[in-house]
Amino acid sequence: MSTRREFRLRAFAAKVRGFLRGHKRDGEFDDEIQEHLQLLAEKFIAQGMSREEAAAAARRQFGNVTLLQEDRRALQRFLFFEALWQDLRFSLRIILKSPGFTATAVLTLALGIGANTTIFSWIHSVLLNPLPGAGDAHRVVELESLAPSGEWVPTSYLDFRDFRDHLKLVESMSVAKPMALAVGNDVHVERVWGETVSGNFFDVLHVQPEIGRFFSGVERDDAQNAHPVAVISHSFWHSHYNESASAIGAILRVNRTPYSVIGVAPKQFHGSMAGLSFDLWVPATMYGQLTATGTWMLEDRKARMFRVLARLAPGVTLEQARSELASLAGFMAKADADTNEGMSATLLPVWKSHNGIQGSLLAPLTILFGASGVVLLIVCANIANLLLVRAADRRKEFSIRVALGASPMRLVRQLSTEVLMLAVLGSVAGLLIADWLGGSLRWLLPLTEAPRLQSGGLDSGVLLFTAALAVAIAALASIGPALHATRDNVNETLKEGGRSGTSSTQSNRLRSLLVTSEVALAVTSLLGAGLFVKSFYRVKSIHPGFDPNQVAVAKFNLSAANFDAQQADAFCRHLRERLERQPGVTAVTYADYVPLSLGEGSWEDLQVERYVPGPSENMKIYRNLVAPGYFTLMKIPLIEGRDFTMQDDDPHPPVMIVTREFVRRFIPRGGVLNRKVHGWGQWFTIVGVVEDSKIHRLTENTRPYFYVPIRQIYRPEMGLAFYVRTAGSVSEAMQSIRRESQAVDAMVPASEVMSLNEWIAGSLFGQRIAASLLSVLAAIAFVLASIGLYGVVAYTVAQRTQEFGIRLSLGAQPRDVLGLIVRQGLAFALAGTAVGAGLTLLLGRALGNFLVNMSAADPLIFTATAVFVIVLALAAASIPARRAMRIDPIVALRYE
Amino acid sequence: MKSKKSEVLQGTLDLMILKTLHALGPLHGFGIARRIEQVSRDVLQLNEGTVYTSLLRLQQQGWIAAEWGTSENNRKAKFYSITKRGEKQLQVEAENWERISDVIGRVLKLEAER
Repeated sequence: MSTRREFRLRAFAAKVRGFLRGHKRDGEFDDEIQEHLQLLAEKFIAQGMSREEAAAAARRQFGNVTLLQEDRRALQRFLFFEALWQDLRFSLRIILKSPGFTATAVLTLALGIGANTTIFSWIHSVLLNPLPGAGDAHRVVELESLAPSGEWVPTSYLDFRDFRDHLKLVESMSVAKPMALAVGNDVHVERVWGETVSGNFFDVLHVQPEIGRFFSGVERDDAQNAHPVAVISHSFWHSHYNESASAIGAILRVNRTPYSVIGVAPKQFHGSMAGLSFDLWVPATMYGQLTATGTWMLEDRKARMFRVLARLAPGVTLEQARSELASLAGFMAKADADTNEGMSATLLPVWKSHNGIQGSLLAPLTILFGASGVVLLIVCANIANLLLVRAADRRKEFSIRVALGASPMRLVRQLSTEVLMLAVLGSVAGLLIADWLGGSLRWLLPLTEAPRLQSGGLDSGVLLFTAALAVAIAALASIGPALHATRDNVNETLKEGGRSGTSSTQSNRLRSLLVTSEVALAVTSLLGAGLFVKSFYRVKSIHPGFDPNQVAVAKFNLSAANFDAQQADAFCRHLRERLERQPGVTAVTYADYVPLSLGEGSWEDLQVERYVPGPSENMKIYRNLVAPGYFTLMKIPLIEGRDFTMQDDDPHPPVMIVTREFVRRFIPRGGVLNRKVHGWGQWFTIVGVVEDSKIHRLTENTRPYFYVPIRQIYRPEMGLAFYVRTAGSVSEAMQSIRRESQAVDAMVPASEVMSLNEWIAGSLFGQRIAASLLSVLAAIAFVLASIGLYGVVAYTVAQRTQEFGIRLSLGAQPRDVLGLIVRQGLAFALAGTAVGAGLTLLLGRALGNFLVNMSAADPLIFTATAVFVIVLALAAASIPARRAMRIDPIVALRYE
Repeated sequence: MKSKKSEVLQGTLDLMILKTLHALGPLHGFGIARRIEQVSRDVLQLNEGTVYTSLLRLQQQGWIAAEWGTSENNRKAKFYSITKRGEKQLQVEAENWERISDVIGRVLKLEAER
């Protein structure tokens, strides 16, 4: 009748009942036992035994009462959980009982976990979860065009239409171009970052509107400037419409044109670029209207300006779609040879995209993640060390528990519970640190004005990572001490009696190993940081070829004001005149591009008179569009010919100034002036030659470069940057730029106003992050390793007090004792430094790519690090050593 | 020392208790121990405490019920009695036991005949 399952079920139910009831029933049971024993004893007395004999015999016949109670408990309780609860309570008591140990351990853990969690949260929001709010985000990829030179370039609208209409392995496709938009009327205008997108943008990303609708029907066609409709972000809806439903249908003035709001994107959705958040989405077909460029920008295959997002068709792999795209692009390169010759295209996972911040953050984040991993290992070693020291102190406790019948597993469990508890405390503290550093991702980016950064914060992914980290630390750190505790021989430990004596050689060896690896890891991170710092200063000291001191720059987004070419020119001339009148200002000029900007500049396909390019020679030459006075202000020497003048404008024949490298490559035999160069469909005359300077980055090799007058080529969709050289303070100059530009036209706010030096520092931001954050991590690593070293040496001293007492009483000098201890500390430091240096040399090849003008085996850095480590080790060891020197032999021998 | 006694086989104690309660009606733990001692005629060695573990197990399965009452010498004692479900279980177990002991008996005989 009673199946096995039923039996188990009832037993389980009984346990649940027992668990719910708690300890109540045991009293009754005790009565029952007492009664039984008494009856037995009475029976024996009746058989003629004495009272004592009878009581003893009764107990014998009844059996072990304690065991019986255990058995009953097993039937009535969940012993596993009870043990766990017991472990937890005991751990808590132990933890509270030694606040010094606990504080050290928790702080150490908090540092390690805080650093790791922060860096992971960056990686999470930039690389792992680049499209929050999008459905099936892993099926979304970026389409990037490939120039003949092998450079990644954006895609033109016509190319996009061909890709969209002909690719079969791609389910849907949308363009997306970030744009700074001027929202509001002439009285109150604000800058809002938006994306111009295809009508099906939200379908590609699988996003549903919070309220209202997304683009639909005719809004999705390719008719230009016909659909002034906009979708707003949740945060824009919140800040501008108080989350009211009446936002739908409201009119929003964008770049001086009314748009009607048709929908609100959901809260989690921030647009299509990792880590950045946008507030407005408008159809890409409105591009011409937004930028006052008419319709040609979307009708010219050479106007490559769009990012393209694609969703792979179900079941299609990236590889398959890639090869279909490559063959289509190959076909287009032939069919549209005049514009697309040699061009190709490919698909990339979003995190590998070259358009967002991920491109520039991938390398620094990888390095940082590695370095924070090193810190974590040091943390583990430190915790293990602390535990070992304590385990030695707690040997008696453990032995007694083993003697009383605790299984070794139980001891290990107890230890792991303690460590886990510390790890949990450390994680909480670490998470507080990480939360406090929440918006810290922005430290990683240069000072340029970009869309608001969207820091992922401590979402479930990050929390899961931290939890895993805590468990991993607990496991790693408790292995050593646990093995140690279980291997201990009960008899030996108890026989040692009251003497704390010397701990086993085995645990000493383990401790030495741990502290040596700690030092080695710290040395590795210190060397790494040192190399990066030195490399950073090397790069910083490279002369850019112009004088960035005393210069303020500011960028303007003219398209937001919907200017045509004449209006733009008027704006520039007015602003220049006003700025020139400011006190202290010695020169003012403007250009399309600021050298050493993060984004690559623009190039033009050139043809140089009487120069025959090689069959595969790249004639796409980078250029800048500059106003007269640019070279004087930048202090770029004019080698021959003349500067541009205000007469070099639209009605006059086009002119050009080239660099020394340009001449060396294309006109090596002299006769530079008056030579003709073809670009933008017309012939330019070379009127001057200037010295080479750095264009994109300080570390680049010299490349040919050329300048043309901004007044001859200027188009509003291009950039505009004003330069002001001042004899006074640069920040004053920056203020006057802001003030004067407002006075000229309130619709054209200045952005990214900063000194040219700051601008250049921005171009070094990759190196700067690597150098500064690695230094921070190395410092943490070093503090931890020093604590570890100090701890081990101090513990040894405490253990050997008796021995030192004997030595001293037998005639050893205090400095002999000092030497003994310092030698020990030094041995750790030397061994650690040797291993760490070796490790760094092994890693050197990987680091080499990030280092500029130096090798990873830099003798100066290595020597400095070694000296530093040794000095620090001496310092760490000398504190306990001094204590040992002062040992009074009499006291020491009486010790315990 | 007395002559060697056999240890009670695990699980058989439950059966013995059920049978005892079935045969004699409500009994307290001491009474059950006495009865088993008496029936086994000193062949079985019993840690009397284990009777209580067995009683708890049987109670948990709902095969016996417990009630406080007064013992022969007017002391408070817990009396155990077999339930309906216990009767059924006893029948099943008893048959089971007989079948197994029969098989084992035959097997042992086989060994002896060789």
